Amino acid sequence: MKRRQFVKNATALTAGGLVLPYILPSGRLFARTNVPKAEYVVFVMFGGGLRQQDSILQRYLADSQGFNIEGNILYNILEGAAPASKIAYGTTPAGQPNGSQPIPKILSQSLQKQGTIFAEMRAISGGHYGGWNSLITGSRVEGQGLKVRPINPTVFEYARKFGGFKATDVWFVGNTISNSIPLLNSSKHPDFGLEYGANFFAPGVTFGGDGIEALSKAKIYHPQEELEPMYKMKNFLDNTFNIRKGEMPGIKNTDEEKTQIKEFISNTFQRQAAGQIPMPPVSGGDGTTIGYAAEVLRVFKPKLLVVNLSNIDGCHSNFTGYLQAMHKADHAMGFLWNYIQTQIPEMSGKTIMLFTPECGRNQQHNPVQDENDWYGYDHGDANSLRVFGGMVGMNVPSNLMIGNESNPIGKVTDFNLTIADILGYKDNVKSAGLIDPEAKSLFDRI
Amino acid sequence: MNMRIFNTVGVMALIMILSACKKNTANYGVVQVSSKGTNLNKDKDKSNIEFHSILSTNLFQKPSSINELTALDRVIQSCGDKALINEVIISNYMNKPSVKLPSRAMMVDSTDRFIEETYIRFFIRRPTVAEMTWFKNFINANKSNPNFRPELVYTAFAASDEYMFY
Repeated sequence: MKRRQFVKNATALTAGGLVLPYILPSGRLFARTNVPKAEYVVFVMFGGGLRQQDSILQRYLADSQGFNIEGNILYNILEGAAPASKIAYGTTPAGQPNGSQPIPKILSQSLQKQGTIFAEMRAISGGHYGGWNSLITGSRVEGQGLKVRPINPTVFEYARKFGGFKATDVWFVGNTISNSIPLLNSSKHPDFGLEYGANFFAPGVTFGGDGIEALSKAKIYHPQEELEPMYKMKNFLDNTFNIRKGEMPGIKNTDEEKTQIKEFISNTFQRQAAGQIPMPPVSGGDGTTIGYAAEVLRVFKPKLLVVNLSNIDGCHSNFTGYLQAMHKADHAMGFLWNYIQTQIPEMSGKTIMLFTPECGRNQQHNPVQDENDWYGYDHGDANSLRVFGGMVGMNVPSNLMIGNESNPIGKVTDFNLTIADILGYKDNVKSAGLIDPEAKSLFDRI
Repeated sequence: MNMRIFNTVGVMALIMILSACKKNTANYGVVQVSSKGTNLNKDKDKSNIEFHSILSTNLFQKPSSINELTALDRVIQSCGDKALINEVIISNYMNKPSVKLPSRAMMVDSTDRFIEETYIRFFIRRPTVAEMTWFKNFINANKSNPNFRPELVYTAFAASDEYMFY
């Protein structure tokens, strides 16, 4: 082959390789606008309201209860020595004081060492639902009411519309069905909406007592002999009925995806009964939610999974419980990252995990004291807008700390755009014009 | 004399009959319609509790308790794909011994009646001619499949979009 012909062919192949794979195989409508940074994203909404002073600033009881005792109780996430006295953040062995046994560290290297931490970011809202909305939608809408879907598109809808992902590629695992959490899997925006929404489970309910009663004895039909004719009849009935006369109340999976999810539900009950769900060594509450999130990751290997934690919010009335919940959530996050790296080969080394709370907590305590006479903290003041966040994994700079108390860098609305940046459709999201105009990908903040 | 009186009375009676009020035959515009029509204008979605209250009545001939319905409502809220989770709940129902289903023989031998009764049971309407034809053909085509049972037809109806609306 002549040199000129070779160069011509090579150029054409390279150009084709850049464009065609993103349009043809998946049927996606939008070409990637940037080179993806990783194949998978896991986003942990590490929340319930996390006070900067007690978390990343590692002041333990020094900046909250008047004891001069500092230390790091998030040692899977952050570097720093644990508190040396008044240990109340751990578990409670029989006959021992409450919280006196710290949970052993899971990760050999903290997420801080492995990735990048944004030490002083700004939240949009000092409340939970406004905070979740800002994380999920990347927008500044603070007045979002409960019991309604977000006004602006969610991170899931951007992923499905611009990333071309199918429904089982995009998951939201919630810790509860309260506080309108189940409504965060899709917005009501006319250009996006349920058509692009995420699959959602609240494992505490889906696989809890109510779920066992309602779902665990479901028949598994034969795919060809039973399911195929059943779906043919259902599809005929659905085509006859004009669904546009009303809006479907949930997202839609294809028949094939439905079969896959039904098998997942059935298998999960069996694995649950056999004690095979991958739970953190210390589970319960948020730990259990993380365990089921790990199970979703193991089975579906979704491109995007968002998981919400909230036990930390017990701080309103129980500061000791808050410390324990924070410590357990750190343990659960360490477990999740370790599980992805060691137990899911398809995702290991190809995933970025992001984490941040939806809001912080107040500077001043409230009058409620717990069993240790420690005061609770609410959220809503300026201190509640102080949060930290981070990311770890493929293409994330390691051992990097960005910003500090006197130099805040980054906003919670950055996470939506960061996910778009990681998965390769950042400019599409920006062009849609529905996110915080000041939001940036965290990679662009480094 | 008597004859004259008789004639007078007769004439008066004749006048009264001819000039009397006529029966009012007002037209109120009432048209005969079937209470189970073929209309598809269902545009209000059933709440989770309404859906399963009606479904359990359709399948078990008795309603669920409010505690059962509340628990089901929680489970449905805990899943993003409502249609999917309803299908799982329906198949869970189908595993219960108290579910009341027509026999396969009835479906195969009295197909027209089976289709019409199924439409009325689930959709509160009769099938259109096109629907009746499609289902007759489909059931006939699947006669040789021993796994094709009324349970599958009932599941398809209970899981259909139309059944989620009223």
